[in-house]
Amino acid sequence: MELIDRYLQAVKFSLPRAQRDDIIKELRDSILSQIEEKEAALGRQLTKDEQVELLKKLGSPMHLASRYGKQQHVIGATMFPIYWRVLKAALGLAFLVQAGASIAMAAAGKPFIQSLSPLLHYPSVALSVFGWVTVVFAAMDFFGAKIQVSDRWDPRKLPPLVKSDPRKSRFELIARLVIQIIFGVWWLAGLHYQYLIFGPGIALLKFGPVWHSIYPVFVVIVLVDVMFTAVMIARPHWIQGRHVALLVMSALGLVVLYFLINAPEVFVASDPSALQSQELVKSINYGIHIGLMIAAIVNVINIGKEAMRLIGWSFGRASQASVGS
Amino acid sequence: MQHMVEAPANNEVLENLRLELRRGCLILAVLAELRSERYGYTLRKALAQQGLEIDEGTLYPLLRRLESQGLLASEWREEDKRNKRFYRLSADGKLILKQLSAEWKSINASLNEIL
Repeated sequence: MELIDRYLQAVKFSLPRAQRDDIIKELRDSILSQIEEKEAALGRQLTKDEQVELLKKLGSPMHLASRYGKQQHVIGATMFPIYWRVLKAALGLAFLVQAGASIAMAAAGKPFIQSLSPLLHYPSVALSVFGWVTVVFAAMDFFGAKIQVSDRWDPRKLPPLVKSDPRKSRFELIARLVIQIIFGVWWLAGLHYQYLIFGPGIALLKFGPVWHSIYPVFVVIVLVDVMFTAVMIARPHWIQGRHVALLVMSALGLVVLYFLINAPEVFVASDPSALQSQELVKSINYGIHIGLMIAAIVNVINIGKEAMRLIGWSFGRASQASVGS
Repeated sequence: MQHMVEAPANNEVLENLRLELRRGCLILAVLAELRSERYGYTLRKALAQQGLEIDEGTLYPLLRRLESQGLLASEWREEDKRNKRFYRLSADGKLILKQLSAEWKSINASLNEIL
């Protein structure tokens, strides 16, 4: 019976302390009853292999002990869909911040490796984001401060219906893609060959040095914009993706605005010796500066709105999933 | 488009659904069997003889859960020179069994019609 005792000892180790002795006593009786019955039927004692076979049927000690524990989870089923969506949004946002920081550093002329540093640190940032989001949700679950998803659910706040004709929507997106590519090429080429943008006005003014510094950001903006539209063509009903696209583009736009606002001169006079054109460019820069400030404020509001919409959309989906389950 | 489901995945789905289906039925069967007093081993044998096999890892934790819910009462007593824990239905358990039996009969009648 040494084998049975060893098995029960291993089970006992993983049992809830308060019930340990009681459970083991009952299990021992059950195992011994089975052995006695088998031995009576065979007319002999069970061999060690037969005992092993019997214990194997009971399952591993840890598995058997686990059946006595309460079902445990860090985040419950009601909270989990919301947790999952918030976690994904937070991880995505963290990536955008890190990528934005890398782009900003590259645009500011930092060495390539140094510029990559924020992006390379993303795994540790993601781990930290994962930890904090999980801790917050686990605490909400533990202290019973659950969001009353079912009570707050309001049919009037459900996401709008997707257009019924995806072909029309896809056609619009293809047209948009073509325009984006043409505009993107024109803009990126125009930053180098400024006549393409200013036309005859190039005799009066041209881009200041800041535009060349942030050229990589424009390349990223054009590529990301085209990429999002291409994804939308493939998945026209992916509403969440549209919100993500708007959010990413607004965030990249904010990076551009940051550099332009902080630049001493957005435009410079083509002929520095011409006083009149210098005065004109100064006025233009002043007006542009105010415009950029307003654009930055609008952009921040848009980012906030899109982020809220994305989270609201996620909550709406989570609520439906929760109510539907 | 038809989806080809691989056999192992299909078996796993079937096994999960089977366990889900059995879970509630086993509770009802255990409550019904404990209208007369039994200890774990004899209860398990009685269920098996009527075609309801249940392993120890499921039965004993279930008995404890039902007892903590007030549906069963238990006491340790010596029998055949060994201490055994005897379970029986409590007053609350009897009431719940009556209600669950009615529910089971209703579901069973509906399912018979559906299937």
